[in-house]
Amino acid sequence: MNPLKVEHIVKQYGDKTAVNGISFEVSEGEIYGLLGANGAGKTTTMRMVLGLIYPDEGKIYYHGKPYSNQQLQGLGYLPEERGLYPKVRVSDQILYLAQLRGMSKKDADVNLKRWLDRFEVPDYYNKKVEELSKGNQQKIQFIASIIHNPKIVILDEAFSGLDPVNVELLKSTVKELRDSGTSILFSTHRMEHVEELCRNITILHRSNAVLKGNLKEIKKQFPKERVILSTEGEVKGLEQITGVTGVTRHEYGYEIGITNEAAGGDILRHAIGQTAISRFEIKEPTLNEIFIKTVGGDGHE
Amino acid sequence: MNNFWTVVGFTIKNKFRGKAFLITTLIIAIIISIGINLPYIFSQFGGDGKKVTNIGYVQSSQAELAAGSIVGDQLKAYNEAQEEPSIKLIPYEDKGSAAANETELKKAIANKEIKGYLEFGEATAESGLPSMTYKSEKLMEMELTSSLQSTLQAIRMEAALQSAGLTDEQKTQLFTPVDIATVQISATEGAGNIGEGKTPAEQGMNMGFVYALVVLLFMTIMITGQLIASEITAEKSSRVMELLITSVAPLKQMFGKILGMFIVGLIQIIVYVAVIIINVSLPHNSKTLKDLDIDFSLIDPSLIVYALIFYVTGYFLFATLFAAVGSIVSRTEDLGQAVLPITMISLAGFYITIFSIGNPDSTLVNVTSYIPFFSPYVMMLRLGLSEPPMWQVLTSIGILLATIYASVWISAKIYRTGVLMYGKRPSWKELRKAMKAYKI
Repeated sequence: MNPLKVEHIVKQYGDKTAVNGISFEVSEGEIYGLLGANGAGKTTTMRMVLGLIYPDEGKIYYHGKPYSNQQLQGLGYLPEERGLYPKVRVSDQILYLAQLRGMSKKDADVNLKRWLDRFEVPDYYNKKVEELSKGNQQKIQFIASIIHNPKIVILDEAFSGLDPVNVELLKSTVKELRDSGTSILFSTHRMEHVEELCRNITILHRSNAVLKGNLKEIKKQFPKERVILSTEGEVKGLEQITGVTGVTRHEYGYEIGITNEAAGGDILRHAIGQTAISRFEIKEPTLNEIFIKTVGGDGHE
Repeated sequence: MNNFWTVVGFTIKNKFRGKAFLITTLIIAIIISIGINLPYIFSQFGGDGKKVTNIGYVQSSQAELAAGSIVGDQLKAYNEAQEEPSIKLIPYEDKGSAAANETELKKAIANKEIKGYLEFGEATAESGLPSMTYKSEKLMEMELTSSLQSTLQAIRMEAALQSAGLTDEQKTQLFTPVDIATVQISATEGAGNIGEGKTPAEQGMNMGFVYALVVLLFMTIMITGQLIASEITAEKSSRVMELLITSVAPLKQMFGKILGMFIVGLIQIIVYVAVIIINVSLPHNSKTLKDLDIDFSLIDPSLIVYALIFYVTGYFLFATLFAAVGSIVSRTEDLGQAVLPITMISLAGFYITIFSIGNPDSTLVNVTSYIPFFSPYVMMLRLGLSEPPMWQVLTSIGILLATIYASVWISAKIYRTGVLMYGKRPSWKELRKAMKAYKI
């Protein structure tokens, strides 16, 4: 039985459908990616999972049980817009939030200190949130969402606004959580994070799930349409090869668009005749490309 | 239930940690202390006892000034006979002409020998006294002239009685004031003290009690109400709300906040009352206290019970509304405008009560004592100063409780919806739509 199971949830605001029949399951120790353009229905979906709003149709099961107040305590939530009391000390508010979710003050305190050490900021314990930098507030926010050892964690844009070092730090923490068996529902606009973290994804477009499933399977569905070619000298006449849709010159060489994989061989043969080749690769599509292809240029309303 | 107390505790703890709160409380406590000790401080600066005003007049044997001189002499003698005279008359010798006299008296004013002087004119036919003018450098010497007037009245009364040949006994009879005692009773079975009625001292005490209570309720509602609303808006604008609402049921959260603030307000009031008691019981203030004749045992115990009921219900009724409004507004800047209607209602109830304190039986008071938002104030007035029948009081409480129930229900719904709505302040229509959408 999967910790989180969403079945055909529908949400309407007036005559506008915000979420239209989305289903997915998150198994134990899995990070599930929820992708979509702005306004596609990600946040609404997450809010329904959190029980902030109720779906008009469909069901959500937590460890096989429907929503109840007890389930709240097993959920962790990192909202997209950060929310902490600016004038309250870090320890006070984290302990408060942990207690609200059914933790004892003592356990929460132990956990908080452990997490502050993990993020290398133990001296923030007695600081007010407004004294911290944005990135550090983000760390505190992250701690607030996982302090009570939740079984299901919902991360809305977890890494936005962080520098690369802190992104790595948080990413490794998220992976640790995953490895310890936590189910994570993850939304972001950064496709490389999804590729790194998520096993299964759903791409939302205008309230509908347009693409759903295992990330590797999804990638296989999309043809390989790109060749990377690095050579010693110049290669001429690449555009004339049949199956080539376009050539872009980069510092490292050429990026060539192709209609099918067979064209790749023609390109290689053509290039070998002219100069020495240092790199040749037929690339599988990146999630970024898949996303743009699926959601399309009209995805941004 | 555990969560509820966590919210209460956090609310209280945060308030007491906040510097702004501590400083405000301290400043108000200092102002109270100064206010209470002000009479004493003034008496320290004001020198010893009463001030005596020196007034000059011209003593002359000339025919046209003789009548004036006699009046002046009489005034002088009368005031000197008093135990603590506030006026002292100083005679000046006649210099021969009116102009010379005036110059001399003016010089005396300039030398600070006298504050002003009396000038006498022709005798008038009706009173037999000469016309009088008081001349001084000051404006509006009403108190002084009226004091002179009454002194002259007394002098003439004395003279008239003397000439009528009355005995001292008869005079005493004439001058002893007639005394009528007032006792407030209730013709029907009242909610308050039944039977023996209220003596003036009890009435005074009750009036003071009602007054204090109404002011207290008003202040509690205004201060804590605003605090509740602004705290909720702050939680909303800092987006902590999204975390809170996923951790604890909104109703628990709202009532935790309201109760926490109530306790904070109560502690604040206790501090103020303690400051008042400490200051009043300082040795140099004991005389003032005795003068005021305060005896708390005169307050009707049933009145205190009613006071408690109306204080708590009144607070919670307004607090729920403030919470609801606070949840709708997304930014603290918009809050002042949003809470204005509630503030106005509270202000109206307060003013109706304060201005009706001398007239607790008017139709306005009778009607408003049933209207839920006014009744906590107005019914207290009726209970303290008149004797409303029991059924009326119970009806008023009943209506109030029903309104609180409705207000809690509506506020909870608004709160649940409002806290998730950002952007501009939603209209009622949008709110209703959102409620439907959220299935609340």
